[in-house]
Amino acid sequence: MISFALDDDQQIIQQTVRKFAAEVLRPALRTWERERGVPAAARRSFHELGLGLIDVPEARGGAGMSALTSVVVHEELAFGDPAAAVALWAPHLAPAAIMELGDEAQGRRLLARFGERAEALGAVAYSESGNVPLAGFATVAEKVAGGFALRGKKAFVIHGGAADLTVVFAQVEPGRGWDGVGAFCVEGAVTQGARHDLLGLGAVHAAEIVLDGVVVPEENRLLGGADGFGPSLRRFFARAALTSAARQVGLARAAYEYALAYTQERHAFGKPVAHFQSIAFTLAEMHMDVEAARWMLWRAAASDGNLDLGLVAEAAVHANEAAWRVADNAVQLLGGAGYVQDYPVEKWLRDTKSLALCGPTSELQQLALASLELGHAVDGDGAGFPASAIQPIFT
Amino acid sequence: MVDFQLTKSQGQVKEFIHQFAESVVRPMSLQADREHHIPDDFLLRLAQMQLAFSGEVPVEVGGDGGGAGEAKDKRGKSQKNRFAMIGAEELSWGDASIILSLPGPGLGGPPVQFMGTPEQKERFFGVFKDRSQLHFGAYGLTEPGAGSDVSGISTSCRKEGREWILSGRKCFITNGGKADWVVIFATVDRAQGRAGHRAFVVEKGTPGFTVGKIEEKMGLRASETAELVLDEVRVPEDNLLGGEVHYLGKEGFMGAMKTFDSSRPMVGILAVGIARAAYEYARDFVRENYLLARAIPRYAQLATTLADMKRNIDAGRLMCWRAAWMADEGIGNAKEASMAKAYAARMAMKVCADAVQILGAHGLEQHQFVEKWYRDIKVYDIFEGTAQIQRIVIAKRILREPPTF
Repeated sequence: MISFALDDDQQIIQQTVRKFAAEVLRPALRTWERERGVPAAARRSFHELGLGLIDVPEARGGAGMSALTSVVVHEELAFGDPAAAVALWAPHLAPAAIMELGDEAQGRRLLARFGERAEALGAVAYSESGNVPLAGFATVAEKVAGGFALRGKKAFVIHGGAADLTVVFAQVEPGRGWDGVGAFCVEGAVTQGARHDLLGLGAVHAAEIVLDGVVVPEENRLLGGADGFGPSLRRFFARAALTSAARQVGLARAAYEYALAYTQERHAFGKPVAHFQSIAFTLAEMHMDVEAARWMLWRAAASDGNLDLGLVAEAAVHANEAAWRVADNAVQLLGGAGYVQDYPVEKWLRDTKSLALCGPTSELQQLALASLELGHAVDGDGAGFPASAIQPIFT
Repeated sequence: MVDFQLTKSQGQVKEFIHQFAESVVRPMSLQADREHHIPDDFLLRLAQMQLAFSGEVPVEVGGDGGGAGEAKDKRGKSQKNRFAMIGAEELSWGDASIILSLPGPGLGGPPVQFMGTPEQKERFFGVFKDRSQLHFGAYGLTEPGAGSDVSGISTSCRKEGREWILSGRKCFITNGGKADWVVIFATVDRAQGRAGHRAFVVEKGTPGFTVGKIEEKMGLRASETAELVLDEVRVPEDNLLGGEVHYLGKEGFMGAMKTFDSSRPMVGILAVGIARAAYEYARDFVRENYLLARAIPRYAQLATTLADMKRNIDAGRLMCWRAAWMADEGIGNAKEASMAKAYAARMAMKVCADAVQILGAHGLEQHQFVEKWYRDIKVYDIFEGTAQIQRIVIAKRILREPPTF
């Protein structure tokens, strides 16, 4: 039955997160960007809200909420500040990787830390630093006594080097491309390389990590679900894409509402500038963009249980496009004020581009969609995984 | 609970109407377009198949309500608008002109429904119970000098005894030439603006009420678009919709506007149906013709264009569903109805243009359908409120909305 009605408990969570976004995130937006990080106190507040493991089942120490509730929460956080939404989410994508690629026991054992400690950060190291093969990874996992030794240099890792648990993707069988890859959970510190200076999401710590033979025990290797490693990896990226899309929707709504308020306060030629049709029509476009992107997101999230990767890909591309267009329009409507740092909109125009590179790119998603529609692979290597050699992504 | 799955009965309605659209409507599509006419016996056959009347299509678009759409959902809310979305998309997928030509009250339905007295509803809807012949209703608001600015209509009405006398011209009236009756909007005094508006049901054959030019159009050629001339037409006072009491407040004009809350999402979903037809045609064309060429880079470009088309159609459909869901829930949806129409129409324009492009020169051939859809779709950006009017409605409403914080 077609319905757009959030349940009562979803509305309560939405209101709670909205309050947190209004009181904690939005006021600190510039400070945290300048400081290139979030303070420990904010981490604790976030932890107390219990949002870190929101969609992890209760049996594995999570809040057990649906994917839909999760995207509602991520939208509200990003409405406060997209950078804080990423930086404060301590476990980051590590639980999603472990849930999709690992088994029950690994989930219970490896995820517990995120429920227990606000400071426990998670990371996923996927993209390679430097020259890499078209398929698979340059970082290698070599079988040694007691597990696997990881060697290589990863880049674009959110929480990279600061994390308590890092899921590292590596080549187990060289020469076998995507068929020879594996994922390994490195517990404890890993060596950090250079920290990335980013276009947007300045409060987010993203860095290279160096793997110089660190040995991971056999039980920390994630083997993929019952249907194999490849399909599990696709589902992991679908979850990353859903989260990213939710943030794009939140960012877009923030930019739209800011422009809506600003253009009503500012007067020119004797009336609010919002009353000029060229401005009013742009606001209408922005509103439509936000709404359409949100319904696409909800439709994809509502398919959870048997997550529809096509719907997720559509939602992700739609959110990326909408958010960029809305943020750009917001800067435009504010004119010079949109370009200076006294107002938040220039930040959001930078942030949206960064968010679009967290998770599979729109280009990859479009090829995946086209493959689904045409019934055969359209992309070159046919794997449908993000490749470091083409448009490396943040994870 | 947020949900986008169709119920079992919605799924069945969709399946049934799709079969019908594919096996009956689509095969007639090109001929009707070429001849600017749908054969009467074809329409009569449709009528007698009772598809349009059995409730899958609500009164607003030509059915008479009842049937599956009247079933309440688990929370006791109507599903009428959501059912209408599902059925109309499929029919429009079959052919856009034919759905507009289905016998029934057409766009004249909503004003009679919203403004009419019980006796008037009985009288004017009663005519459609006769299924041995074709019967139509129509909606006459637009004039040569008043389109988007509805308050500027100049067709006059004045009361004499127990009759009203109407004079003026109406244009771009769908099914206007063949309608049994037309809802005509007129003004007692132009200086009063909207407060001076009155809505009448003017019946075919009333002396002085004649059909002017039948338009030749870019698209929707099989759908009749007529000019209507009113020359001192005497209309009984019983044909004033809602009776005089209805016009004491602001309701008169609002009655005309209220009908848009369900008709705009409907127009939006019709555009979605055409866009989906064009998309599927282009996708199948690529699949069947270009497979051997997949190694060339251009193929990936075509493929991603297809992916974009599909995605944007899905977004347009959700915007329409959202407005329809609000209508079923009894939530005011004037803004969402306008957004659905504005968003879906523009999306569909782009999709149809892309479909022609993907077929290359084949796209211009008249037997390939897409050139027809490319012509048909343009009017969705114009009728039932132009793209610009929708944006005015949306902007007015969002300027009054409170911020999140």
